[in-house]
Amino acid sequence: MSGRGASNDIRRLWVRNLIIWAALLLLLLLSLVAAYIPMGRITTASGIVIAGAKSTLVVLLFMELSSAKPLIRLAAISGLVFLIAMFALTFADVLARP
Amino acid sequence: MTDESALLREPWIDFGRQLEAGKFGIWVFLASETLFFGALLLTYTVCRIEHPDAFAAAGRETNVWYGTINTAVLLTSSLTMAVAAQAAKESARLRRVVLAGLMITAMLGLAFIVIKGFEYKEDLDKHLVPGAGFALPQPGAQLFYGFYWLVTGVHAIHLSIGIALVSRLIWVLYRRELPAKDNPEIEVTALYWHLVDIVWIFLYPLIYLPGRAS
Amino acid sequence: MTDALLAGELPLPPRPDYLRHGSTIRSWLATTDHKRIAILYAVTITVFFFMGGAAITAVRLELFQPNGWLLTSDTYNKLFSFHGIIMVWFFLVPSIPNTFGNFLLPLMIGAPDVAFPRLNLFSWYLTIAAGAFTVYALVAGGVDTGWTFYTPYSSMFSNTHVFAAAAGVFVVGFASISTGVNFIATTHMLRAPGMTWFRLPLFVWAIYATSLIMVLATPVLAISLLLVIAERVLGLPIFDPARGGDPILFQHLFWFYSHPAVYIMVLPAMGVVSEIIPCFARRRIFGYDFMVYAMLAIAGIGFFVWGHHMFVSGQSALASLVFSFLSFIIAVPSAIKVFNWTASLYRGQISFESPMLYALGFVGLFTTGGLSGLFLASIPIDIHVTDTYFVVAHFHYIMVGGSVSAFFAGLHFWWPKVTGRLYPERWAKFAAILMYAGFNMTFLPQFFAGYLGMPRRYHTYPAEFQIYNVMSSAGAAVLALAYLLPLGYLTWSLFYGGKAARNPWSATGLEWTTSSPPPPKNFDRQPRVDRAPYDYHAEGVSAGTAPPEMQNARETR
Repeated sequence: MSGRGASNDIRRLWVRNLIIWAALLLLLLLSLVAAYIPMGRITTASGIVIAGAKSTLVVLLFMELSSAKPLIRLAAISGLVFLIAMFALTFADVLARP
Repeated sequence: MTDESALLREPWIDFGRQLEAGKFGIWVFLASETLFFGALLLTYTVCRIEHPDAFAAAGRETNVWYGTINTAVLLTSSLTMAVAAQAAKESARLRRVVLAGLMITAMLGLAFIVIKGFEYKEDLDKHLVPGAGFALPQPGAQLFYGFYWLVTGVHAIHLSIGIALVSRLIWVLYRRELPAKDNPEIEVTALYWHLVDIVWIFLYPLIYLPGRAS
Repeated sequence: MTDALLAGELPLPPRPDYLRHGSTIRSWLATTDHKRIAILYAVTITVFFFMGGAAITAVRLELFQPNGWLLTSDTYNKLFSFHGIIMVWFFLVPSIPNTFGNFLLPLMIGAPDVAFPRLNLFSWYLTIAAGAFTVYALVAGGVDTGWTFYTPYSSMFSNTHVFAAAAGVFVVGFASISTGVNFIATTHMLRAPGMTWFRLPLFVWAIYATSLIMVLATPVLAISLLLVIAERVLGLPIFDPARGGDPILFQHLFWFYSHPAVYIMVLPAMGVVSEIIPCFARRRIFGYDFMVYAMLAIAGIGFFVWGHHMFVSGQSALASLVFSFLSFIIAVPSAIKVFNWTASLYRGQISFESPMLYALGFVGLFTTGGLSGLFLASIPIDIHVTDTYFVVAHFHYIMVGGSVSAFFAGLHFWWPKVTGRLYPERWAKFAAILMYAGFNMTFLPQFFAGYLGMPRRYHTYPAEFQIYNVMSSAGAAVLALAYLLPLGYLTWSLFYGGKAARNPWSATGLEWTTSSPPPPKNFDRQPRVDRAPYDYHAEGVSAGTAPPEMQNARETR
């Protein structure tokens, strides 16, 4: 009885995570293909946007942030907030240089 | 209950609290790591804004197959790591799943480094090291490869630390020094591993995909 | 103990305090007790403080005369660089957080230790390793880049030991990050029952806000130094303009850390002063909530102002404008704090013991430093005084007048708790007043010299500036004496000082409810908190001189 319960648990675990993994590999393929399509800036953006999507999947599902407590989410977001500030204020210089 | 008392550490009196603190602590550290790698990405971005064409030319010189395969390897290692961490939380009966997941994770990590080694070899043969005798004419291309060597090196160091942590976990769990069920070290190691994976997810389009369309 | 007996609690068996809990060297070097680690840090930063002080003593001697009579320009450059690197990263950044923060944070929140005790010890070893790198850089011949490691000089031209110095700072950064992670987790996870967020002493809030900066800013410093090291060792071109690199990018990365680092240095000082002023005015702190919000605002906005160090770097006019505006904004929470400290004195029963003298000195000097900072936030004035002694005077008013004064305030305030000994109060008062006088003698003339155009970092100068430099150097001698005095009488008190009671200042706060020095696990019984901090008098009444209601009635009396 317990053996069957364990094997059911194992199957459930793998199926759930394999779906996420398949999605990640699909996105990887997509970004590879998109990189060869000449769309100017959109080509560059597509790579970064897809990387963002992949990271979101990993963070929310593999790292289980989607079911984490608010405090943990706050810790995760804090790094991102100050990273954005660093980029934005540096761009205020780099993009506005004469 | 015995599991918990074996895992309880000073100064905690409540295991649930200790578990939460460990998880919170590593997330705070990951926020720090976000800015660590973020600063490198900022360096890349500023240089790329200043030298867009050179970065495209330099990006074309990288080997996209090594890069893509390595990305797939790391994504798969995140899968096995996630399974191991979830199995450890689920039930004490899944100890073998935890061990198997950790072992595959460590091996995939090693595979990544071996593939990376082949890629480095190729880069050296193609004279893609900044300095005298650099292969490409544009000065900005040297910036690209300066970034490339530095960031892949820093990433490889992070990954090696990850492999060491996972190997240690396997050793401790295999010898049953600590139980796998609810072991906070598994979750903390897993979170770190996923972050190293995410860093690579962002490096992939920045290093391997520029200039492919032109 | 009679009250405890009446309450039905049995007296506890006698136990050694944390200092006498073990006396082998191993019991110190392998300790995970946050109090012992605090002592390890205290010894370490004291050594670094006097090393950095010795370097600047030579500099001040040199500047006594305008003609460069004592040092070569090379030696001079190495000495002020060493002074800056040591004082910033090996004294000021770890000073209050790693000594008082380590010692007091668990005590103040009623916890037995920090969240990750082994990580705490690891952080100390990192500091020692980093210090070894930096001292090696000096012994091997010094480094001459200044504490800022500006590129392209540091990456391409300097022939000195930049690698060792940068590596030292790189490593000490990780000590900083691990301490920050530890303190944040401790504050969130280990507060005693009843210790809600708005019952936390302001010192805990200060350490918490500081830790946030340590965790989020320090990694960027690590990258900026890593890039310098990579450029020197591997020849990467990131900051080399001749090969397309961007030297100004270094300044962005460096100041993204180093401006918030100013708040790493001064926020803990604000925390110390917020503990001391209510105690010696016998008043509740004025506007507790606003003090908390102001500290969090300083920690947050502190990340957005770094570009005011770069007004003459060649960054875009837009960036200068944005950074100038944001720099004015951050003066607001700082001003709130100054006004609230002052208002806390109103209708108080003020007594001028040595910690209070230092704390009041802090408020005055910090205000002067802060107001001169507004000058520098304004682009036209900043361009006029950039790289002059005006800037030197400004940041020394904040860091030495502010942070170091507060460090000494805290040292005297908590000395009885840390060591269980009382120090000679008359000597302490004398040293506090001497320090204030010596400080102003040293740095006030530098405002004038700087405004008149004397540039910093030169070992010779036009004779017209000599009067200011003589005043400054004479003041430095007074200041040096004022720093040496506590070393003498505090050491004396360790052996001959009277025994301190639990609560010699009749202060509120959980740390005063346990014995002096505290037992290894801090509290004999789990403390429970049932009131807000600084409960020196009943609400709506003027200050009295009666002892305050304590946090945990069961523990005291």
